[in-house]
Amino acid sequence: MRYIWLIIGIVMASSCKKWLDVKPVSQVSEEDLFKTEAGFEEALTGIYSRCSAIELYGFELNCGFPEVLAQNYTLVGQDFHQYQQTAIYNYKDDDFIRRKDDVWRGLYNAIVNCNLLLENLDKNGDILTNDKYAIIRAEALALRAYLHFDVLRLFAPSFKSNASANAIPYVTTFSNKVTPLSTVSETLDQIVADLKQAKEIIRPFDPILKAGYVTGYPWVYYDEQTGNDQTEDDAATLFLTQRRHRMNYYAICGALARVLLYAEQKEEALQNALEVIDSNKFPWTNNDNFIESDPEKKDRILYKELVFAWYIPNMRTELANKFTTEATGLFLEDNACKALYETGGVGGDDNRFKEWFRLISGTGNNISRRHLQKYMRENEINRHFLVAPAIRLSEMYYIASECAYDADPEKGATYLNTVRSNRGMGTPLTISNKEQLMEELVKEARKEFYAEGQIFYMYKRLNRGITAQLGGNVPPSDQIFVLPLPDYEIEFGNR
Amino acid sequence: MIFTILCQAMRVPKLAEAKTILVMKLTAVFLLVGFLQVSAAGFTQTVTLSKENAPLQQIFREIKKQTGYAFFCNIRLLRKTHPVTIRVKNGQLREVLNLCFANQPVTYNIINKTVVVSERPQPSTPQTPAADTLPATITIRGKVLDETNGQPVSGANVVIKGSNKGVTTDAGGAFSLDARPGDVLELSFVGYQSQEIPVRKDASLTIRLALKADKDPLAGVVITGYQQIRKESFTGNAVTVSGEEIKRVNPQNILQSIQAYDPSFQVAPNNLLGSNPNALPRVNVRGSTSLPSGTGDVLTRNNLAGNVNLPTFILDGYEVSVEKVYDLDVNRIESITLLKDAAATAVYGSRAANGVLVITTKAPKEGKLQVSYNYELNITTPDLTDYDLLDAAEKLEYERLAGLYESVGRLSRDEMQERYYRKKKNVLAGVNTYWLSQPLQTAFGQKHSMFIEGGSPVVRYGIDLRYHTMPGVMKGSGRDRYSLGSVLSYAPDKKLLFRNVLTFTQVNSKESPYGKFIDYARMNPYYPKTDSAGRILQEVDSWEIDLQRSDPNGQFQTDHVLNPMYNGTLNSFNETKYLEMIEAFSAEWNITRSLRLRSLLSLTKRVYNTDFFNSPLSNDFFNYGRDMLDERGQYYFSNTTENAFDGNITLTYNKQLGDHFINLAGGANLRTFNSDFKSMWAVGFSNDRFTNISFANHFPEGTSPSGVYNIERLFGSFVSLNYSFKNKYLADLSVRMDGSSKFGTENKVAPFWALGIGWNVHKEDFLQNTAVSQLKLRASTGLTGAVSFPPYLGETTYEYYTDNWYSTGVGAVVKNYGNQNLQWQKTDNYDVGVDLGLFRDRLFIGSRYYYKLTHGLLADIMLPPSTGFASYKENLGDMENTGVELSLKYVVLQNRQWTVSFTANMARNQNKILKISNALKAYNDKADQEQTNNKDLKGTPLLRFNEGQSLNTIYAVPSLGIDPENGREIFIKRDGSHTYEWSVKDIVPVGDNTPTAYGYFGPNISYKGFLLNVIFYTRFGGKEYNQTLVDRVENANPRYNVDSRVLYDRWKQPGDKALYKNIADQGTTFASDRFVQRDNVLELQSVYLSYDFNKSFYSKLAMRNLRVAFTCNDPWRWSSMRIERGLEYPFARSFTFSIQTSF
Repeated sequence: MRYIWLIIGIVMASSCKKWLDVKPVSQVSEEDLFKTEAGFEEALTGIYSRCSAIELYGFELNCGFPEVLAQNYTLVGQDFHQYQQTAIYNYKDDDFIRRKDDVWRGLYNAIVNCNLLLENLDKNGDILTNDKYAIIRAEALALRAYLHFDVLRLFAPSFKSNASANAIPYVTTFSNKVTPLSTVSETLDQIVADLKQAKEIIRPFDPILKAGYVTGYPWVYYDEQTGNDQTEDDAATLFLTQRRHRMNYYAICGALARVLLYAEQKEEALQNALEVIDSNKFPWTNNDNFIESDPEKKDRILYKELVFAWYIPNMRTELANKFTTEATGLFLEDNACKALYETGGVGGDDNRFKEWFRLISGTGNNISRRHLQKYMRENEINRHFLVAPAIRLSEMYYIASECAYDADPEKGATYLNTVRSNRGMGTPLTISNKEQLMEELVKEARKEFYAEGQIFYMYKRLNRGITAQLGGNVPPSDQIFVLPLPDYEIEFGNR
Repeated sequence: MIFTILCQAMRVPKLAEAKTILVMKLTAVFLLVGFLQVSAAGFTQTVTLSKENAPLQQIFREIKKQTGYAFFCNIRLLRKTHPVTIRVKNGQLREVLNLCFANQPVTYNIINKTVVVSERPQPSTPQTPAADTLPATITIRGKVLDETNGQPVSGANVVIKGSNKGVTTDAGGAFSLDARPGDVLELSFVGYQSQEIPVRKDASLTIRLALKADKDPLAGVVITGYQQIRKESFTGNAVTVSGEEIKRVNPQNILQSIQAYDPSFQVAPNNLLGSNPNALPRVNVRGSTSLPSGTGDVLTRNNLAGNVNLPTFILDGYEVSVEKVYDLDVNRIESITLLKDAAATAVYGSRAANGVLVITTKAPKEGKLQVSYNYELNITTPDLTDYDLLDAAEKLEYERLAGLYESVGRLSRDEMQERYYRKKKNVLAGVNTYWLSQPLQTAFGQKHSMFIEGGSPVVRYGIDLRYHTMPGVMKGSGRDRYSLGSVLSYAPDKKLLFRNVLTFTQVNSKESPYGKFIDYARMNPYYPKTDSAGRILQEVDSWEIDLQRSDPNGQFQTDHVLNPMYNGTLNSFNETKYLEMIEAFSAEWNITRSLRLRSLLSLTKRVYNTDFFNSPLSNDFFNYGRDMLDERGQYYFSNTTENAFDGNITLTYNKQLGDHFINLAGGANLRTFNSDFKSMWAVGFSNDRFTNISFANHFPEGTSPSGVYNIERLFGSFVSLNYSFKNKYLADLSVRMDGSSKFGTENKVAPFWALGIGWNVHKEDFLQNTAVSQLKLRASTGLTGAVSFPPYLGETTYEYYTDNWYSTGVGAVVKNYGNQNLQWQKTDNYDVGVDLGLFRDRLFIGSRYYYKLTHGLLADIMLPPSTGFASYKENLGDMENTGVELSLKYVVLQNRQWTVSFTANMARNQNKILKISNALKAYNDKADQEQTNNKDLKGTPLLRFNEGQSLNTIYAVPSLGIDPENGREIFIKRDGSHTYEWSVKDIVPVGDNTPTAYGYFGPNISYKGFLLNVIFYTRFGGKEYNQTLVDRVENANPRYNVDSRVLYDRWKQPGDKALYKNIADQGTTFASDRFVQRDNVLELQSVYLSYDFNKSFYSKLAMRNLRVAFTCNDPWRWSSMRIERGLEYPFARSFTFSIQTSF
């Protein structure tokens, strides 16, 4: 009897530590998650889901305050969306502070998810097959860079304005230790390094590079435009479908082009932009599809041209409420919208103006309003997923245009005109100098990127004045272009 | 299923009747016990006897009566004796005895006034005792039984007086010992009076001894849950209360009762939930040792959530929840021991810092079937004395003064005036509805509780049954408890004892469908509650309100006044039920006389179900538009399953070695607990009649089912030593190693320890025969811990986006930064005490001083958001608690019929935050922000945490009062200047809620069979913020009913020296020290009167005892502050009649 107790005691003592090591059930511990391949996949997918949250690319970074700062909404009367103070660059406004702090917190939270995933790949990645390992690792690296780049574009001076200024922390570890600030150019270097590494890792394995991979509308097996079956829905596993909703090889190229242009390394930027363009993976949207009246066949977002987009079906109600044609919706005053799309001049045929905006005529003293239809959904019969565009083919053309112009002005102008003609403006522009090209590029980008959150960064990159609605502009300055760091970041990070 | 069992159980009384006859037969056996009683009065040594053919027993009884000499004998021996005829006058005792024993098969021997009867030695083997040689040793076999219940007493010490030779009794109470005739055996055991027994000449005779219990067997022993220690030699701080005493104070609420015996066990008053029978009390022992954490919400004193300072509750050796204790049948409780300082609690290691409450339940007694029955009738009535509202005429007058009948929006002044006169007409017609009483009732609760027990020394059994209803004073609310339990014990031989306890409990709790009580306090008395046909109206009035917005569409709003009674007419319900099963098995093995191994395994399973249905017709959905028709009506369903396994094994060594007494215990315990919670909401009910969840239309948009699954594990091992030398010098030493799954992976195991020393000064020679009957000094110190935080904090966890799949699959994201270095909170304890008893303990004073320093408080540490997280958990933060406890007992009068005593206890605890984390500083900033912006919190002093202040500090802006010129409040800024503008920057500590002292006192009087016990509660010297003045006087919405001070004490015209601001001012009043008042309270908490019937009476009814009792709780209260208490649920008074009997 005594011996039995003794044995029980010894067994208990030795397995005690293990026994006390309790793993949660309704949550998943890090250790448990990264025991299987599925866990790695889920951790990566989680980063995309995290980024699709409303305070990040789900709404705010695409359609929210960066667009307000770029004067894309008419904000008069009752301040339903609390954007009026933002529109006049009052960076002490509580609503603005809350939003930009949420962006900072959210982006870094997503970055930490990348870092923890990368750490676990190092530790436990050998359970993955080579292709999975490469794809997951490359996407995590690329996402880390992509997200840091948006933090940089919001919270630090532009490269043009002050490349050596202290910018943001480039966080590469999962830790509670504070990462020191890097300067603008240091940060850019790190971003470029991560992206390049990602590009090399993923190149041999990304299905999107396979000749048979055809982009197109979901659930369509024969595409009348190309004559090919789209293959994005098809893959051995769900994880390998919809490459364009994730950081695919071309998305990395596109991001590199974008970052390198920001860092004024035009030659390399051009190379990367051309790699996307020349791949011919992303066909221009057929105009018939764009102007289609049958909602089942209508393509509002120019889906095929998206190199990378966030998948946001759960933002449907949110976006419908934000862009409702009721008085509470965000809108652009009719005349300002017409001015933006130059409808009186070269923009008369612009399908974007026709298809993306719905006019609500004003009665009495009320103004006429243009409400955005880009994100509109009919009940589950739409041609494509609800997505938030992240990198467009057109942006690659703009980058190519800007970068190629110095060496070959004609080619540069052609890139710009290609986009315009695909939007219904068949008459090419005659570009006589770089200044004019830039003028036209900004105008074009304003039209193309409406409510996609990119145009503010373009003003900032070029250190140009922000065009106000109905003429005039807001002079460029770091007062406007650089958002203050969150208070908690300054206080607890000793910034 | 359980319910069926109980129904059957209720038929048991019939069965019991049949057994009554058996019981009566037993009585004869018990009467024989009286024969063995020892009397110690002084008598002569001469005897006068005149008997013919009298049995020897009768002779003995006579001799005992005359001489005081006791007789010790085996009844079996006496059966062999012959009757005696004797006639003696004033004969010497020995002569008389010689006569009696002549020709008998027995002989006798006198030792110390005891006549020991033994078998006469056989003539064939004559003993040859030589006077000059020592007699040969013989083996004495004996059995020690408890005199009151006949149970064997195991672990009792049997020592030969004057030597260090001795043994302890085994599980069956038996012992055997070699001794010489003439030796004296000394029997002693904790909880019993010591006894000396002379050893007879005869060898190998089994003697049966009965130890006499002290008057209160619990007074002499401290039950730590792992071992029993003689109180006399214990240096820890423990308070023991018997079940009977608990019942006396408050038969409805055990936790409230404990408080009356030791105010350090503090049950926080709940001003929101009042006397709601479903509100679990918040308890702390000797102050708070944790900071509130977790929710991130700004805290007011009322929503101070979480029971982070709860003591650990141990029931019969295994840990239970506070809810289990709350629902426990008080009749089953044998005793409750509250362990407070380190020396007492250190054996609980990481669970010890907030004190430990050890509860033992009654064990079945040996013998023929016996039934104990207890009936209670409980009457509860609401206590509305704290409410002083305006009546109909006053209210309307106030509305007029507040300017409510001026033109609003589209309504002209004339139209408003017309409304006024319509109401005036109502008032004049005599409408004056007393809304407060509408949702209330006088509640009648009943309790039947029965215990059936009996058995042989080998097998004993007990069955307990309970039916207990406890309706609350809000209509429809209540808590009903049913339980069924069985105890079975089996002692196959003297070394082994097995015991098995199986208990089922069903508790059904129901919340009132009538909603919050405050809604009734707000209703205007001039509203009729029904229409002319007697139907309850839903909408009784509406107001046009100017929201003062610039937008013409949003400026005016119609505010509908809805009748809260209407909700009560619907089929809404809110019920939580749980079924609990506890299976506990213990085994005891007496390895040697002084070494014992005990092990306990217990398994608890508890299943909760919550069903909440809010009718689609409810007032809550009144404002739902046409488009939200299918959103009306709500159903919430949740299910929680809890499983706990507790196992422990203890080895005790209990030995008296000369002057050294050693009580050593070592053991280990293991506990695992898991809870599985699942819940979901459903909305959209077409009507009120079909209330099943299956009639719901859909899940609320954007929601998904939720669930939480937690596992906690604990493993600990300990050694505890209690040592005393000559019963004068005492020491306690405990060490425990605890491992908990809640600790970070780097720190899975933690050490805890305690050391206590004591000196029984009254045992010293210089205090013998003085007025000082007891003087005990003691001091203890030690380190204890607390892990009252949720599991998995030490772990980095991922969370799935189950409700939002990405196109390429479901995603998981990091939820928290897991701090792998996370540790338990450590509390350094220091405790010194003096117990002084004078005049044979007629006056007893106990005093304690303690100091607790808790460090490594679990706190959120703010991170710069660039780390990806807002905060993480760290052990940072220190807090101290200093306190004094005083208890006094004075026996004023004690004689055969009367006992009059007076008891009082007082405590004081001062809490101070020494160090806090940056997160709490950030929290203070958030509190500042909320205080300024959140409409509902502007007038409430929010909790703030500052180093050097207490957790009970009240923060507000200092105020000079109301300016008589204009009725506005004047504030004092931090720089000392005066202003009309309230600013959050001027908030300073303005008072402390800590009372100078609080406690209980009252007399205890018994006369013959009557017992009267009265207990008062008082606290004084603290400050409190009178929220009523803000919410119901100054910030009161004049459209609803308000406190009467609104009309009488507010400023009306220049020159008024008013306490409260301008009556027409409808602006918001902010938190200022104008509302901080002295919080002195005197309450009559409990009056208990009982009567024990005479034996002559109850024995006619075939009963073993009969007691009737009456308890009255909270009948009277005085407070220095006029504050509305019981906002969501009113306070109540309760009256309990009970009958207790056994047969």
